[in-house]
Amino acid sequence: MKGLLEFLAKYHHWLTFLLLEVASFVFLFQFNRYQGSVWLTTANAVVGYIDACERDILNYLTLGTVNEQLMRRNLFLEQHNEELSRRLEILTHDSTRTELLQAERLRGIKLLPAKVVTNSITRRNNLLTISVGSADGVQTEMGVVSGTGIVGIVYMTSEHYSIVLPLLNSRSNISCRLRGSSYFGYLRWEGDSPLLAVLDDIPLHARFKVGDIVETSGFSSIFPPGLFVGRVKAIGTSDDGLNYKLQVQLGTDLANLQDVSVVLQEFQAEQQELESRADSLNTQAQ
Amino acid sequence: MIITLLRRILWLLTLVVAQMMVFNYIHLWGYATPLPYVFFILLFPLGTERWSILLWGFVCGLLCDMTSLTLGVGMAALTLTAFVQPPLLQMMAPKDAVEDMQPGYATMGLWSYFRYALVLTFIFCCAYFLIQTFNFFHLIDLLIAFGSSWALTFVLCLAIEAVHYKFTS
Repeated sequence: MKGLLEFLAKYHHWLTFLLLEVASFVFLFQFNRYQGSVWLTTANAVVGYIDACERDILNYLTLGTVNEQLMRRNLFLEQHNEELSRRLEILTHDSTRTELLQAERLRGIKLLPAKVVTNSITRRNNLLTISVGSADGVQTEMGVVSGTGIVGIVYMTSEHYSIVLPLLNSRSNISCRLRGSSYFGYLRWEGDSPLLAVLDDIPLHARFKVGDIVETSGFSSIFPPGLFVGRVKAIGTSDDGLNYKLQVQLGTDLANLQDVSVVLQEFQAEQQELESRADSLNTQAQ
Repeated sequence: MIITLLRRILWLLTLVVAQMMVFNYIHLWGYATPLPYVFFILLFPLGTERWSILLWGFVCGLLCDMTSLTLGVGMAALTLTAFVQPPLLQMMAPKDAVEDMQPGYATMGLWSYFRYALVLTFIFCCAYFLIQTFNFFHLIDLLIAFGSSWALTFVLCLAIEAVHYKFTS
């Protein structure tokens, strides 16, 4: 306060001057039409400019919020776009003959779509997690297929997830046959390429050639017969020389797998129970 | 003190009446209008309070504007001139000048007073015509009006000071 008084005392002539000039200009604008109109126009322009500056500053200050809203909107649109792209792809997908045949053979069988949650192909015993579980009706020993061939067998289930024993697991053993013949064998994976498996136990008198189709035999309750598995890539014999050992080019690339379906066979439980009873009879007879 | 006040009032009234009765009707070649009432500001001695000069200038301008129907123009211009007068006089006054030196031929010398009056009348006329015109659309006309009025005002101020000098001496 004291400083202010000192300031006023020191520069009072400035204040007096400004005050008197302001009074003079008030008179000028009040009683002179031309100067008054110029003042009014200029004042309006200045006020408009200041308003514009203020608006710009406020807009700039709210850019953070706007940016956040835009980011959220962008995320939403990206997800939306992804979903629409996926649907469009499904609708306009140019199905290969294999996929068409696969779909044909699975017609009438109840399929449960699922997403692959985790996947591995680099280990000796790979496992796959899918996004459906017991709450969706999935049980162990159910088959899992994709559009390009079989994938594996459900190994464990929780309420919302299931672990699948894929073809790329040394413990996987699926009954398969050569299309157009009744010779069957067991498909195993020896841990080499994720696109190659081995079909054992094909008798030596069987007639086939490289490129023939390998499909599920239907001898188990897990997969219906005729599902595409792969094609014969190379022909060899087993170590004991009594059977063929065929190298099979798998139809499903498990390294690039996103959508699968679980095969829900209607009478699978009944068939499995009957087979277990038969097995127990064999055990008793022994 | 009272005599000084009375003398100031007398000068003020004389100059305002002269402006109102005579000089407001002079428009040489349609441009030059003498405004010798600025002489009132030239009269203030060295050491006068600045707020006092400002108030006198403001009142003088107000009276002249009221009689010329240019309210605000003379007030603003003369207040500005009054604001500049003390430092200008301080600058132009002789080094051995007394504290309350009255500006004039006798105290400042002819040349110093010429410069003092020239600068003050320039500031006053410049401000007056700028405020009165309030635009630059006719710059040449403005410059002619300002230049001729400034010259006329300056000459009249010198003439009044000459008369003042004759009477005081």
